[in-house]
Amino acid sequence: MITLGSYLALSGVIFSIGLVGVMTSRNVLKVLLSLELLLAASNLSFVSFSKFNGDYAGQLIVFFVILVAAAEVAIGLAIVVLMYRRLSTIQADELRTMKW
Amino acid sequence: MSPFFFYLFAAILIFASLCVILARNPLYNVLSLVVAIFSLSCIFVTLEAYFVGMILILVYAGAVLVFFLFVVMCLNLNSITLTSEAQNRFRWLGTFAALMFTFSFVLATKSFIKAQAVDISSIRGTIEAIGKILFTDYLLPFELTSLLLLIAIFGIVSLAQGALSTGKDTDNS
Repeated sequence: MITLGSYLALSGVIFSIGLVGVMTSRNVLKVLLSLELLLAASNLSFVSFSKFNGDYAGQLIVFFVILVAAAEVAIGLAIVVLMYRRLSTIQADELRTMKW
Repeated sequence: MSPFFFYLFAAILIFASLCVILARNPLYNVLSLVVAIFSLSCIFVTLEAYFVGMILILVYAGAVLVFFLFVVMCLNLNSITLTSEAQNRFRWLGTFAALMFTFSFVLATKSFIKAQAVDISSIRGTIEAIGKILFTDYLLPFELTSLLLLIAIFGIVSLAQGALSTGKDTDNS
């Protein structure tokens, strides 16, 4: 039978995959996608705790996390498009100046 | 709920999220994240969190990832990322750090894996239940998210304005 531990283990595996993606990829777009994986993994652990503790607050937090992630992705992709127009690349190593 | 569905969707989720970070083509990265989000939503349904699962599909697969696809196709990144996906200096350091994190996570959740028996509580995340608690106890955070979205709109508009006013001389792609 499926326990809370198996959901948490799945969430940990997804979080680790996302962490590898954030830490090792130089492509800014791929970093943003890996951030989505991190958020999805934390959402999974929130929902599983909500189910196994009998509390709706975990699912509400997931709702808010999705909203915040939508705003974050919008701004992040705007910055990526801007960076591509200025530098004509989206490698994170090319961002060397704080102000342009 | 049958354990079969959990293992099926967990396998799809892990495979798709591996594709997200390992595929070369950025289009495949985004599309495999769509698959991952769909299987995550199915796992939410096995946890009886119906509302959150639906919102996940609508917002993530419907809006966010389409936005990602739009940016990938708009920037025409295929040639760039395929050629200059060079070796990252901190690649193995990052992988090592993530493996250490996984190890500590396994240590931390060991008590759950051993101890916690299955406990089917009477939580069912329908729209009615979630909406009832969202508009009574969590009304203030819900209204604050509208403020957050407003601030995000301001930020994007100011970014776009800066690009229009100062980016004329660079190019017009």
